[in-house]
Amino acid sequence: MALLRYSPEMDPVTNLIALQSDLERFLRNPGYELGVSGSGGFPPVNIFDTGDGVAVIAEIPGIDPKAISVSGQGHTLTIKGERRREISTEATGYHRRERAFGEFSRSVQLPEQLDLDKAVASYDAGMLTIKVPKAEAAKPRQIAVKPA
Amino acid sequence: MTQQEIAAQEKRAVQGQEKTRAGRFFLPVVDIQEFNDSLKLYADMPGVKQSDVEVTLHGGALTIVGTVSTEAYQKLAPLYTEYNVGNYFRQFELNEDIDDQRINATMRDGVLELTLPKSERARPRRIEVSAR
Repeated sequence: MALLRYSPEMDPVTNLIALQSDLERFLRNPGYELGVSGSGGFPPVNIFDTGDGVAVIAEIPGIDPKAISVSGQGHTLTIKGERRREISTEATGYHRRERAFGEFSRSVQLPEQLDLDKAVASYDAGMLTIKVPKAEAAKPRQIAVKPA
Repeated sequence: MTQQEIAAQEKRAVQGQEKTRAGRFFLPVVDIQEFNDSLKLYADMPGVKQSDVEVTLHGGALTIVGTVSTEAYQKLAPLYTEYNVGNYFRQFELNEDIDDQRINATMRDGVLELTLPKSERARPRRIEVSAR
Protein backbone atom coordinates (compact mmCIF):
# COMPACT_ATOMS: atom_id res chain seq x y z
CA MET A 1 0.00 0.00 0.00
CA ALA A 2 1.22 3.45 -0.86
CA LEU A 3 2.66 5.51 1.96
CA LEU A 4 1.98 8.83 0.32
CA ARG A 5 -1.38 9.50 1.88
CA TYR A 6 -2.30 12.52 3.98
CA SER A 7 0.49 14.62 2.51
CA PRO A 8 0.83 18.25 3.58
CA GLU A 9 0.25 19.30 -0.03
CA MET A 10 -3.33 18.08 0.18
CA ASP A 11 -5.81 20.48 1.71
CA PRO A 12 -6.66 19.70 5.34
CA VAL A 13 -10.29 18.79 4.67
CA THR A 14 -9.42 16.30 1.92
CA ASN A 15 -6.69 14.94 4.17
CA LEU A 16 -9.07 14.40 7.07
CA ILE A 17 -11.74 12.75 4.93
CA ALA A 18 -9.14 10.42 3.34
CA LEU A 19 -7.79 9.55 6.78
CA GLN A 20 -11.25 8.92 8.21
CA SER A 21 -12.25 6.59 5.41
CA ASP A 22 -8.94 4.70 5.71
CA LEU A 23 -9.32 4.29 9.46
CA GLU A 24 -12.85 3.06 8.88
CA ARG A 25 -11.65 0.54 6.31
CA PHE A 26 -9.17 -1.02 8.74
CA LEU A 27 -11.54 -0.96 11.71
CA ARG A 28 -10.87 -4.17 13.69
CA ASN A 29 -9.13 -5.49 10.62
CA PRO A 30 -9.58 -9.27 10.87
CA GLY A 31 -6.38 -9.79 8.90
CA TYR A 32 -4.34 -8.38 11.75
CA GLU A 33 -3.40 -10.64 14.64
CA LEU A 34 -3.93 -8.43 17.68
CA GLY A 35 -2.96 -11.13 20.14
CA VAL A 36 -3.77 -11.60 23.79
CA SER A 37 -5.64 -8.51 24.83
CA GLY A 38 -8.41 -8.42 22.24
CA SER A 39 -10.37 -5.39 21.10
CA GLY A 40 -12.59 -3.20 23.23
CA GLY A 41 -9.95 -2.60 25.88
CA PHE A 42 -8.67 0.73 27.09
CA PRO A 43 -6.89 2.57 25.66
CA PRO A 44 -8.18 2.09 22.11
CA VAL A 45 -5.26 1.70 19.70
CA ASN A 46 -4.63 2.32 16.03
CA ILE A 47 -1.68 0.54 14.45
CA PHE A 48 0.09 1.88 11.36
CA ASP A 49 2.86 0.87 9.00
CA THR A 50 5.41 3.69 8.96
CA GLY A 51 7.54 2.21 6.18
CA ASP A 52 10.49 1.56 8.50
CA GLY A 53 8.46 0.01 11.31
CA VAL A 54 5.11 0.44 13.01
CA ALA A 55 3.42 3.18 15.01
CA VAL A 56 0.88 2.42 17.72
CA ILE A 57 -1.27 5.45 18.54
CA ALA A 58 -3.53 5.30 21.61
CA GLU A 59 -6.01 7.84 22.90
CA ILE A 60 -5.40 8.44 26.62
CA PRO A 61 -6.60 11.95 27.42
CA GLY A 62 -5.81 13.66 30.70
CA ILE A 63 -3.07 11.55 32.16
CA ASP A 64 0.33 12.41 33.54
CA PRO A 65 2.80 10.87 31.07
CA LYS A 66 4.77 9.63 34.09
CA ALA A 67 1.75 7.51 35.00
CA ILE A 68 1.97 5.56 31.74
CA SER A 69 4.21 2.54 31.51
CA VAL A 70 5.12 1.15 28.12
CA SER A 71 6.99 -2.13 27.95
CA GLY A 72 7.86 -4.75 25.40
CA GLN A 73 8.46 -8.45 25.60
CA GLY A 74 9.00 -10.62 22.58
CA HIS A 75 6.55 -9.19 20.05
CA THR A 76 4.12 -7.96 22.67
CA LEU A 77 3.81 -4.31 23.53
CA THR A 78 2.07 -3.48 26.82
CA ILE A 79 0.60 -0.14 27.83
CA LYS A 80 -0.31 0.22 31.50
CA GLY A 81 -1.37 3.05 33.73
CA GLU A 82 -4.01 4.70 35.77
CA ARG A 83 -6.25 7.54 34.83
CA ARG A 84 -7.38 9.55 37.85
CA ARG A 85 -10.29 11.89 38.16
CA GLU A 86 -9.52 15.54 38.82
CA ILE A 87 -9.97 16.21 42.53
CA SER A 88 -12.74 18.59 43.41
CA THR A 89 -14.03 18.04 46.88
CA GLU A 90 -16.54 20.80 47.24
CA ALA A 91 -18.66 19.94 44.19
CA THR A 92 -22.30 19.80 45.18
CA GLY A 93 -23.26 17.41 42.42
CA TYR A 94 -22.82 16.11 38.92
CA HIS A 95 -24.88 17.11 35.90
CA ARG A 96 -22.99 14.71 33.66
CA ARG A 97 -20.57 11.95 34.39
CA GLU A 98 -19.52 10.32 31.16
CA ARG A 99 -15.73 10.07 31.45
CA ALA A 100 -14.13 6.82 32.61
CA PHE A 101 -11.35 6.53 35.16
CA GLY A 102 -9.36 3.73 36.66
CA GLU A 103 -6.49 1.40 35.92
CA PHE A 104 -5.78 0.03 32.51
CA SER A 105 -3.51 -2.51 30.91
CA ARG A 106 -3.46 -3.33 27.25
CA SER A 107 -1.23 -5.65 25.27
CA VAL A 108 -0.82 -5.55 21.55
CA GLN A 109 0.85 -8.13 19.37
CA LEU A 110 3.22 -6.51 16.90
CA PRO A 111 4.34 -7.93 13.58
CA GLU A 112 7.51 -10.00 13.60
CA GLN A 113 10.95 -8.59 13.05
CA LEU A 114 10.59 -5.35 14.93
CA ASP A 115 13.15 -4.07 17.37
CA LEU A 116 11.20 -3.34 20.55
CA ASP A 117 14.43 -2.27 22.28
CA LYS A 118 14.54 0.73 19.98
CA ALA A 119 10.91 1.75 20.51
CA VAL A 120 10.26 5.42 21.25
CA ALA A 121 7.13 6.64 23.07
CA SER A 122 5.81 10.19 23.20
CA TYR A 123 2.69 11.79 24.68
CA ASP A 124 1.06 14.89 23.29
CA ALA A 125 -2.46 16.34 23.54
CA GLY A 126 -3.76 13.13 25.08
CA MET A 127 -2.31 10.88 22.38
CA LEU A 128 0.33 8.27 23.15
CA THR A 129 2.46 7.40 20.13
CA ILE A 130 4.85 4.45 20.22
CA LYS A 131 7.12 4.02 17.24
CA VAL A 132 8.85 0.70 16.85
CA PRO A 133 11.48 0.38 14.11
CA LYS A 134 12.16 -2.74 12.09
CA ALA A 135 15.05 -4.87 13.25
CA GLU A 136 18.24 -4.37 11.25
CA ALA A 137 18.05 -7.95 10.01
CA ALA A 138 14.58 -7.33 8.59
CA LYS A 139 15.55 -4.28 6.55
CA PRO A 140 15.94 -4.71 2.82
CA ARG A 141 19.53 -5.04 1.81
CA GLN A 142 21.26 -4.28 -1.41
CA ILE A 143 23.22 -7.26 -2.61
CA ALA A 144 26.10 -6.42 -4.83
CA VAL A 145 26.35 -8.38 -8.03
CA LYS A 146 29.97 -9.24 -8.60
CA PRO A 147 31.33 -9.89 -12.01
CA ALA A 148 32.24 -13.53 -12.47
CA MET B 1 -9.39 1.89 47.60
CA THR B 2 -10.99 -0.42 45.09
CA GLN B 3 -9.60 -0.12 41.62
CA GLN B 4 -11.64 -0.27 38.53
CA GLU B 5 -10.52 -1.31 35.07
CA ILE B 6 -11.50 1.14 32.39
CA ALA B 7 -13.43 -0.07 29.38
CA ALA B 8 -12.96 1.66 26.06
CA GLN B 9 -15.82 3.95 25.09
CA GLU B 10 -16.95 3.88 21.49
CA LYS B 11 -16.78 7.40 20.04
CA ARG B 12 -20.17 8.78 19.19
CA ALA B 13 -20.50 10.69 15.94
CA VAL B 14 -22.47 13.92 15.88
CA GLN B 15 -25.93 13.27 14.45
CA GLY B 16 -28.46 15.64 13.00
CA GLN B 17 -27.29 19.15 12.17
CA GLU B 18 -24.96 19.28 9.22
CA LYS B 19 -21.70 21.11 9.68
CA THR B 20 -20.28 23.39 7.03
CA ARG B 21 -16.89 21.84 7.70
CA ALA B 22 -16.69 18.46 6.00
CA GLY B 23 -15.67 15.23 7.66
CA ARG B 24 -16.95 13.35 10.65
CA PHE B 25 -17.44 15.10 13.98
CA PHE B 26 -17.44 13.31 17.31
CA LEU B 27 -19.09 14.13 20.61
CA PRO B 28 -16.51 14.57 23.36
CA VAL B 29 -17.44 12.77 26.59
CA VAL B 30 -17.91 15.24 29.43
CA ASP B 31 -18.21 15.57 33.17
CA ILE B 32 -20.12 18.56 34.49
CA GLN B 33 -19.85 19.35 38.17
CA GLU B 34 -21.85 21.88 40.06
CA PHE B 35 -20.39 24.11 42.73
CA ASN B 36 -22.13 26.78 44.77
CA ASP B 37 -20.70 29.58 42.68
CA SER B 38 -19.83 27.86 39.39
CA LEU B 39 -20.11 24.93 37.03
CA LYS B 40 -17.06 23.00 35.96
CA LEU B 41 -16.96 21.11 32.70
CA TYR B 42 -14.31 18.63 31.58
CA ALA B 43 -14.35 17.39 27.99
CA ASP B 44 -12.07 14.65 26.64
CA MET B 45 -10.80 15.64 23.20
CA PRO B 46 -7.68 13.58 22.53
CA GLY B 47 -5.66 14.94 19.63
CA VAL B 48 -6.79 18.54 20.04
CA LYS B 49 -4.09 21.06 20.85
CA GLN B 50 -4.68 24.13 22.99
CA SER B 51 -4.72 26.43 19.97
CA ASP B 52 -7.35 24.35 18.20
CA VAL B 53 -10.23 24.54 20.64
CA GLU B 54 -13.01 27.09 20.41
CA VAL B 55 -15.53 27.75 23.17
CA THR B 56 -18.43 30.15 22.69
CA LEU B 57 -21.37 31.11 24.85
CA HIS B 58 -24.18 32.75 23.00
CA GLY B 59 -27.75 33.18 24.15
CA GLY B 60 -27.42 30.52 26.83
CA ALA B 61 -25.93 27.97 24.40
CA LEU B 62 -22.43 26.76 25.16
CA THR B 63 -20.60 25.45 22.10
CA ILE B 64 -17.35 23.52 22.13
CA VAL B 65 -15.45 22.84 18.91
CA GLY B 66 -12.11 21.03 18.82
CA THR B 67 -10.15 20.59 15.62
CA VAL B 68 -7.68 17.77 15.10
CA SER B 69 -4.67 17.91 12.84
CA THR B 70 -3.84 15.13 10.40
CA GLU B 71 -0.18 16.06 10.48
CA ALA B 72 0.82 13.14 12.71
CA TYR B 73 -0.63 10.70 10.17
CA GLN B 74 1.57 11.73 7.29
CA LYS B 75 3.06 8.72 5.54
CA LEU B 76 1.31 6.25 7.83
CA ALA B 77 -0.67 3.36 6.39
CA PRO B 78 -3.21 1.76 8.71
CA LEU B 79 -2.84 -1.94 9.58
CA TYR B 80 -5.45 -2.22 12.31
CA THR B 81 -7.68 0.47 13.83
CA GLU B 82 -10.06 0.71 16.77
CA TYR B 83 -11.11 4.34 16.68
CA ASN B 84 -11.64 7.01 14.10
CA VAL B 85 -10.29 10.53 14.33
CA GLY B 86 -12.19 13.69 13.67
CA ASN B 87 -13.11 17.07 14.96
CA TYR B 88 -15.18 17.40 18.11
CA PHE B 89 -18.42 19.27 18.55
CA ARG B 90 -20.81 19.53 21.46
CA GLN B 91 -23.41 22.03 22.49
CA PHE B 92 -25.22 22.56 25.78
CA GLU B 93 -28.16 24.70 26.74
CA LEU B 94 -27.21 26.28 30.05
CA ASN B 95 -29.96 26.57 32.62
CA GLU B 96 -27.84 28.54 35.02
CA ASP B 97 -27.17 32.21 34.56
CA ILE B 98 -23.45 32.31 33.72
CA ASP B 99 -21.18 35.32 34.01
CA ASP B 100 -19.73 35.09 30.52
CA GLN B 101 -17.04 37.68 31.28
CA ARG B 102 -15.38 35.38 33.76
CA ILE B 103 -15.42 32.04 31.93
CA ASN B 104 -12.06 30.35 32.14
CA ALA B 105 -10.90 27.67 29.70
CA THR B 106 -7.75 25.59 29.77
CA MET B 107 -6.68 22.74 27.54
CA ARG B 108 -4.22 20.18 28.80
CA ASP B 109 -3.33 16.68 27.62
CA GLY B 110 -6.39 16.59 25.39
CA VAL B 111 -8.81 17.58 28.15
CA LEU B 112 -10.70 20.86 28.07
CA GLU B 113 -11.41 22.30 31.52
CA LEU B 114 -14.04 25.02 31.63
CA THR B 115 -14.99 27.04 34.67
CA LEU B 116 -18.34 28.72 34.27
CA PRO B 117 -18.96 31.13 37.16
CA LYS B 118 -22.59 31.69 38.03
CA SER B 119 -23.63 35.31 37.86
CA GLU B 120 -24.33 36.96 41.22
CA ARG B 121 -28.08 36.60 41.06
CA ALA B 122 -27.91 32.90 40.11
CA ARG B 123 -25.98 31.89 43.20
CA PRO B 124 -27.81 30.12 45.95
CA ARG B 125 -28.42 32.36 48.90
CA ARG B 126 -29.22 31.38 52.38
CA ILE B 127 -32.25 33.16 53.63
CA GLU B 128 -32.37 33.71 57.30
CA VAL B 129 -35.59 32.65 58.89
CA SER B 130 -36.33 35.07 61.64
CA ALA B 131 -38.51 34.38 64.62
CA ARG B 132 -41.69 36.32 64.92
